[in-house]
Amino acid sequence: MATPLKRVRGLGAARHGTETFWRQRLTAVANVPLVIFLIWFVVSHAGASYEVVKASLANPVVSVLMLAMIWSAAIHMRIGLREIIEDYLHNKLCKVSSLMLATFFSAGLAIASTLAVLKISLGG
Amino acid sequence: MVQFTLPKNSKIKKGKEWNPPAVDADPDRWREYRVYRYDPEGGENPRVDTYWVDMNDCGPMVLDALIWIKNKIDPTLTFRRSCREGVCGSCSMNIDGTNTLACTMHAEEAQGAAIAIYPLPHMPVVKDLVPDMTQFYAQHREIEPWLKTDSPTPQKEWRQSHEDREKLDGLYECILCACCSTACPSYWWNGDRYLGPAVLLQANRWVEDSRDERTGERLDDLEDPFRLYRCHTILNCTKACPKGLNPAAAIANLKRKMVERL
Ligand code: SF4
Ligand code: SF4
Ligand code: FES
Repeated sequence: MATPLKRVRGLGAARHGTETFWRQRLTAVANVPLVIFLIWFVVSHAGASYEVVKASLANPVVSVLMLAMIWSAAIHMRIGLREIIEDYLHNKLCKVSSLMLATFFSAGLAIASTLAVLKISLGG
Repeated sequence: MVQFTLPKNSKIKKGKEWNPPAVDADPDRWREYRVYRYDPEGGENPRVDTYWVDMNDCGPMVLDALIWIKNKIDPTLTFRRSCREGVCGSCSMNIDGTNTLACTMHAEEAQGAAIAIYPLPHMPVVKDLVPDMTQFYAQHREIEPWLKTDSPTPQKEWRQSHEDREKLDGLYECILCACCSTACPSYWWNGDRYLGPAVLLQANRWVEDSRDERTGERLDDLEDPFRLYRCHTILNCTKACPKGLNPAAAIANLKRKMVERL
C-alpha cells in the first residue's frame, strides 16, 4: 500500500560510495604499471632456475612492487566482486553470505601472497 | 538472483496475422509489422500480432504506421502518443530492437524486414505498448526537480549569466521518455534502488544550475552505492537517447562532483 514515492525513497541515501568509487579508480590506475611489471618479471624469468627467481624476488625493489601489486589487485578485486554480487544477487541471505565470502577470499589471497613475498625477501 | 527468463505468464505466444496481403501484392508497398500485444484483463499470455501496412496510404514514421493500423485494421491496439514530433516523450517504445520514439523514427531506418515493436523493456505493461511509468515518475519526483533557494527571492527574477545558462545545454532538452533508463542493464536489475540515467541526468541538471542553492544537499541525496553508483558506464543510455543527449556524461559529471568534495 506504500505510495510510489515512499517506495522509491526506501531507507534513504547511504551517503557513502564515493570513497569506494575513488579507490576503484585509484587501484585501476595503479594496476596498469604493476601488472606490466609482473608480466615483464615472469617473461624475463622464463626458464630461469628456482635459485635465480628466488634471488630476483628477494631484491627489495622487486619485493616492494610485488607487495604493491598484490594489495592493489586484491582491493580492486574485492570492490569488483562486491559490485557484481550487488548487481545480480537479490536474495538477502545469498547476497550477504556472498559478500562475506568475497571479502574472505580477497583478503586470504592477499595475506597468503604477502607472506610468500616476505618470506623470500626476508630470507626465510 | 536476477530474473533472466520471463515468468510463465509473460512468455510471448504467436499471435494473429491480421491482414496478409495477396500473394502477388507488391512487396515494396506492404510493410510488415510485428507488434507486442498484452491485455491484463484477458488473462492470456502476451502475443505478437502481425500487420501489413500500406506504405502508399501511410506516413513515413513508425508512429504513422501504428496509427494507420489502429484506424484501419485493429482499433484495440493500444499505445501512447501526443505531439507526434518528438517533444512530449509519450511514444517511446522498443522498435527494431532499440528504444526510441515512434514519431521520430522512419520506418525505412529499420534493419529488419519486418519491423518488431515492443513496449519499453523491463517495465510492467499496462496494455500492449503502454508501460507503467509510476516508479520512473516517482524517482523523478524524488530528486526534487525544481529550483531550491534560501536567499530572499529577487523582485524580478533569478539571474543567470550566458555562460552558466550554457551549462544546461544537453540537459534541459530531456523529454523524460525513459528510452535511456529502460535500455540500461543496471536499471533492469536494480531499478528499485538505482535511479537510472534519465533521472540522474535531471539531477545533474539541477546540480549544474547556477541559481540553485542546494547543490550539496542534492549531492548528499544521490551519494549511495545504488542510487548513483549502480551506473557502470555501459553507455547503453547514450546510445539509446532519441534526443541525442548524453546521460552517461551527466552521470560522470555527478561522480566527478562527488570526488571533488571528498
Ligand atoms: S552508462 Fe550508466 S546509466 Fe548509462 S546505460 Fe550504462 S549503467 Fe546505465
Ligand atoms: S535523456 Fe534522452 S532518452 Fe533519456 S529520458 Fe531524456 S530524452 Fe529520453
Ligand atoms: S508523440 Fe510526442 S514524442 Fe512521440
